[in-house]
Formats: sequence, C-alpha cells, structure tokens
Amino acid sequence: MKRIPAFAFAVLALLADATALGRATQDPQPARDISGFWELNFDSRRVPRANLLPSVTRGRLDARLKSDAYAIRWCNLLGVPFIMDSGRPLDIRQGTTAIMVVPENSSAPRYFYLNRSAHISDDIFDPSTNGDSIARWESDTLVVDTTGFHGEHGITAIPGGGFRTEKSRLVERYRLMKDGAVLSVTFTWTDPTVFRTPHWYEFRYYRLPSTYEPRQWLPCDPFDEERAKFLETTPKPGRPATRTVPKE
Amino acid sequence: MGARMVSAVVVLACVIAPAVRTQTPAAPGARLEGDWVRIDPDGVGSFDGLSGVVPAAELLPGVTGAGGGRGDGRGRGVPQSTGPNPEGVPYIVVTQPCSGFGGGRGNGGLLINPDSGGVHFVEHKDEVIFAGERGGVRHIYLDRRGHPDSSQRTPTPAGHSIGRYDGSTLIVETTGFTPGAVPGGGVRTPETRLVERFELSADSRRLTIVYTWQDPKIYQKPHVYRLYFERAPAVTSNGALVSYALEEWCDAGDPIEKQSIVPPKQTIRK
Repeated sequence: MKRIPAFAFAVLALLADATALGRATQDPQPARDISGFWELNFDSRRVPRANLLPSVTRGRLDARLKSDAYAIRWCNLLGVPFIMDSGRPLDIRQGTTAIMVVPENSSAPRYFYLNRSAHISDDIFDPSTNGDSIARWESDTLVVDTTGFHGEHGITAIPGGGFRTEKSRLVERYRLMKDGAVLSVTFTWTDPTVFRTPHWYEFRYYRLPSTYEPRQWLPCDPFDEERAKFLETTPKPGRPATRTVPKE
Repeated sequence: MGARMVSAVVVLACVIAPAVRTQTPAAPGARLEGDWVRIDPDGVGSFDGLSGVVPAAELLPGVTGAGGGRGDGRGRGVPQSTGPNPEGVPYIVVTQPCSGFGGGRGNGGLLINPDSGGVHFVEHKDEVIFAGERGGVRHIYLDRRGHPDSSQRTPTPAGHSIGRYDGSTLIVETTGFTPGAVPGGGVRTPETRLVERFELSADSRRLTIVYTWQDPKIYQKPHVYRLYFERAPAVTSNGALVSYALEEWCDAGDPIEKQSIVPPKQTIRK
C-alpha cells in the first residue's frame, strides 16, 4: 500500500520533468532547432594550422590553388568547406526529414539528412562538392557526418591548411549558445592522404534578425571577358611607394 | 484503492505523454517536404510537349508575348522541338549552357517553372526552402512578413515569395520578378503577381502546382496552368530505399552542360 503512492509520486515527478522538457522545446528557440539566418563576424573563427602529411608538398598545394581558381573563374559549384564561410550569411532551415543550409553565393545548398543513418552507397553516389551528409542529435548537439566529396571540383581548400579529396571525411557539431543567439560549429576533417592528425577548427555564427532578407545570388557570367581578365591576369609588382622627405 | 491510483497515474501519463514529445520545427501543414520530379500525365512524350500543353495566355491588345512561343521558360541554348523520343529513350533531356546571362541556374529562377531536374522542399514553420538540383533556391517566407517595397528591392528571376498554408495546400504569392517570359506566351514584369498553389494528393504522392499570373497591364484575365510532380523514385542503398538530392555538376568551361534525366514511369491520365 505504501509503495503505490511512492510509485505514483515517482511517475508524476517524471511527468513533471517531462512536461518541463516539453515546455522548453516549445520555446521560441528550442534547443533542437538551429533554423535561422546566421553570419560570421571578424571574431568568429578559431582556426589552428593543420598538421599535414609530408606528402602534401608545396607543389600539390599550388596545384590545388590553381584548381580552386578555375572553379571561381568558371562559376562552378564551390562546395564545402567554402560555403560555410563565403562572406555572406547562411539560411539554415530544419524540416522533419532534412536540414538545409543555403548560402547566398553558391547555387547548391547542403542537405543534412535526418531520416537515415547510413551514407548513400559508394556504388551509386556520385562524389560532389558538398558530399553526402547525415545528421543526428546527441543531446543539444547536432552531429553531421559527411563523406562522398569530389576530390577536385569546387573550392577544395580547407581553413587552416590542406584540401578535401575523395577520401575526406568531415564531422561537424552544431550547438546553440547564449540562448540561441550564437551557433557554434566545430569542423573535424580526417583524410589519410592529407592530414597527419584530425584537423579541427571552430566557427561561431551570430544570429541575424528573423526578418532578414537573404540576397539572391549575384549573377556569375563565365563568359564575361572583363571578369575573366580580372581573375586570370597576374598583376605586375607595383613600384614601392616613395616618400618625399621635406627639405629642412 | 491502490489499483485505482495506479490506473489514474497511467491515464494521466497517457494524457500528458503526447504533450512532452519533442516539438518539430515543421510548418503546420507540412507534407510537401521531400524530393519531387516532374511528370507527364498528358502523355505528350517530349519536353517541348510538356510545355506545349500550357494554355495560351490571353494578353491585352498591344502586349507582345516574350519569346514568341508557348511554354518557353528555359534558358539559352535549348534545342528546338524534336518530337516524342522513341520508346525506351528518356524523353526529358536538358541541354543548356551551364550558367547563362543573369545568373543562369542561380537565383532560383528555374524553380518558378521547374524543368526535369529534381526539386526538393524543406518545411520549417517560418520558411519553406524550395531547391532545385540544377541550381538555385527559392525562399518562401511563412512568418507573415510582407513583400518589400519595390523601391527597396532589385527584381530577381525568382522574385520575392511569401506563403501560407490552407490545410495541406501551400499558397505562395510572388512578385518582384525580372522582366521575362511566362509559359503559354505570357510575359512578366516586376509588378506582375504570381500565385502558386502547391496541392498534394490525398496520399501525398502527387503534387500539382497551379500557377496564376495576374497583371492588369498585361493579361485580359488571370493566366492559369498546372505542372505535375511525383515523389522522386527511391533507390536501394545498403539494403534500404532512399531518396536524396543530386548535386548536378556544372562546368561552364565545358562549356555546354548536358544532362539526361530519366523520370519515373509516367502515369498517363488519358
């Protein structure tokens, strides 16, 4: 007889906790919704230098720089990681099956699939600049795992050094901070052909007002000769500035 | 007494339990979310045919239709009609420059009248993202904002869209377009208003987009037509059926992008 009220209290206590949790999730910025407009500020980046393998020579890095310049020159899809720091805000929207990350200056958004726990099989997935991303919540942190990158298309340079290849794997952890005003994203790259140790860095995005209007992608015309000339011509070294010393 | 208390607790638990499930940020009428591909319910058998079934716009006297033809909402370099393809040959084929003037695939302009590339929706309570595999994104705001003043906004190929749900139907109003062609021989200007109704079938497998173009300076009466879609076909991956967005590679240095997209088996309604 005594145990029944105790049991009842225990259940009710659990329900009270659960109800409080329910209220929390109904808040305007629920912990498990990273939707919003987000931008990086000058103090948003913590990027240590990557620990690269000896096989990542200056020659390989220079070749990558050239390939990245080609992608810009020809208005190609730019892909990850570039679009996470493209100079314009991101629009992130969380649905029931996927989360979409929409940059303002590249036409291909990222999809984080919430409705599957395995990557698309290699034999049917064509490597792409954004790769294949699957996501799951671990407490208040969204963990996104991405593979299936294209090794050459788009901008392959990774902040801190190195570049993505078809063997790259990226794990991102998204977590809201400061009552949803800040979104912390840690990026961890592993690649047995590029990095000696996993390469980690963090960006902190600031939330923009909900009334923000994303600017639509500016036209990119690969056949604009003036633009091509601007991008492809190496400037001649300028003469050092001369300073006229006033005569006494 | 004890049994009754236990029963009461169990009943209470059943009542409260649904309220404590994690809230999803989805829009209230959300069922549109997922992957879609355009279909050919009229059995016209060619991409040009798909556009050809759009009824002719009734323009005011003196208004000239852009593009001079019916149903041409596509980019430069689209080949002339070749008629229905032979049996077994995918008849929805896209061939066009990768990135034309005005941003080409960018800006979501292709999503006003989607072609054969797959399209995808993510529904959030404040915004629906409408994205296309051949590039571009449309932002459809559900947060009750209005259209920006036309003097404050540069017209774009996708315009500015605000939406609301009527049951499971998403109703979207768009204005602020760059001047251009409308399927059926119509035209549009930054003042032209487009209302789209994204109507789902009862089983959520079929999507009909009803387009209504309105502009008292252009049309004698609202210009209405429909495009039809089905859920994108799933593929088997690691033993599971999945559907996902393809990232169409586009290399302007090529310089002609060629894609051949095999649509799902077409259901002819005739």
